[in-house]
Amino acid sequence: MASIMRPSVLRQACQVPVTSQRMLSTLSRTSIKSSSPLSQHLRPSLVRTALPKSTRIAAFHATQRKQILPALPQTVEGTANDPTPVPEPEPVHGSYHWSFERIVSAGLIPLTVAPFAAGSLNPVTDSILCALLVIHSHIGFEACIIDYFPKRRIPTVQKASMWALRIGTLTLGVALYSFETNDVGITEAVTRLWHA
Amino acid sequence: MAATRTLARLATRRIAARPASVFTRSFASVSDTHARDPLSKAAEKIDPKVITKPIPESQTSTIKEPEPGKDAKIKTFHIYRWNPDEPSSKPKMQTYTLDLNKTGPMMLDALIRIKNEVDPTLTFRRSCREGICGSCAMNIDGVNTLACLCRIPTETTKESRIYPLPHMYVVKDLVPDMTNFYKQYRSVKPYLQRETASPDGREFRQSKEDRRKLDGLYECILCACCSTSCPSYWWNQEEYLGPAVLLQSYRWIADSRDEKKPERLDALNNSMSLYRCHTILNCSRTCPKGLNPALAIAEIKKSMAFT
Amino acid sequence: MARSGLQRDVLALYRQCMKAVQQKPIENRDNFRSFARSEFRHHLAVSKKDFGTIEYLIRKGRRQLEIYEDPGIRNISNK
Repeated sequence: MASIMRPSVLRQACQVPVTSQRMLSTLSRTSIKSSSPLSQHLRPSLVRTALPKSTRIAAFHATQRKQILPALPQTVEGTANDPTPVPEPEPVHGSYHWSFERIVSAGLIPLTVAPFAAGSLNPVTDSILCALLVIHSHIGFEACIIDYFPKRRIPTVQKASMWALRIGTLTLGVALYSFETNDVGITEAVTRLWHA
Repeated sequence: MAATRTLARLATRRIAARPASVFTRSFASVSDTHARDPLSKAAEKIDPKVITKPIPESQTSTIKEPEPGKDAKIKTFHIYRWNPDEPSSKPKMQTYTLDLNKTGPMMLDALIRIKNEVDPTLTFRRSCREGICGSCAMNIDGVNTLACLCRIPTETTKESRIYPLPHMYVVKDLVPDMTNFYKQYRSVKPYLQRETASPDGREFRQSKEDRRKLDGLYECILCACCSTSCPSYWWNQEEYLGPAVLLQSYRWIADSRDEKKPERLDALNNSMSLYRCHTILNCSRTCPKGLNPALAIAEIKKSMAFT
Repeated sequence: MARSGLQRDVLALYRQCMKAVQQKPIENRDNFRSFARSEFRHHLAVSKKDFGTIEYLIRKGRRQLEIYEDPGIRNISNK
């Protein structure tokens, strides 16, 4: 989290006016713009909130603000000739996880087709389908979180999103359970939607 | 016998029908053969007696920018430039124009010509100029490839853009910092690991079938084109090993002479090193040597599954 | 005084350099020390908001330190 905050925090901290060419030019442009009524209409928030100088500069540096998780300075662990550290083997997150994921994905295909092909409604296949769907989506989103919220970069965000995912998965599981027990069930719902 | 063979070859060469120009591929080639004359021809003979000071420019002739011919094919190249000696300057795109009639057919020829004749400050890695060393890997027109294996498209209306490999730290201009890549390569122990001696005390032998398993793996030249085209590698460069290193790892896993296969597999058996591969297949698509790193990664996953 | 991560990185690099100087032969330590200091002083003018540049300079400095740390390098000249 701190690493995301850093650039903006520093930008706020360095409120000392710097006499750089670029800043002067942006300042003058702002003043011109604020005098023209059209621009005031277009960007009223910018002109109104242009209190500290630093934020005003930041508003013009649109490209920098767009960057999501910009690259950190390069860190080389050990010397350039040392190998990168090899992590401890964790089959639960490695090969077992992968095999399990593949079995679930492969199992979903016949389970999706079977009830429609057979034309009959079986509560057992229906419940297995639901369970596998929940697991499948959980694994998929988990992979997204691991990819896009790197642990070494933003550990808190990753942990928070992991918990959000767990809560979401649990909610989905409970919802599907109640849908299966109290309502028509997922296969029947799809059939009705199809014929609706 | 040898003489007749030579004669036969000469004969066929003379007889061999030249393909009509309609069927030739439209890629750049040198048609103006005098354009490549060394610049020293243009320079004067200077008496090699003791010269203490450089000769002032009034006594030497001016070497002019090569004039474009009447049927010049001027192609524009936009090249990423960044000079580390001025660290506070921002990277910029510099534009160069070259007459394709005086330039070799490959992108590397164009780069070398720019460096030789136009702008000597342009920096890039190159060594073998024939796709064996893997030094000149760069991003040309949006594709990671080797400059020496990439032909210059002759459509002069289209402008070429050359960048360093994406998502790497840049050392200068087109030179990326490969430290992390090589450190990762080192971490897979890319050498034969064996405890037992060979039965007859000579080299470790391999059957032809076992050797054939290494085809498509040993040709990898570690140019890092595949790794730097992989989104997973972009996001998790520190932990995910990347297609090139995994291909090399599989090259040793598949080797019948290696005895540390379980250890090698264990080193990959975690959430990050191998399983960040989501079979995006950019690696196989971009490989300038036509290899298939995605297949190698799939083979590793297969050999680790259900174990 | 609260320092940003970047400032701490720079100070840590400087400290590492000074420690590395202690490993050098005693008669040449002054040369190494003044070399390290001049390398830092060269870039005094860099704006402290120019993160990209500072990050690059730290990267370069670490690489230089790694090279000059080698015990085979026994003396250094100051331009």
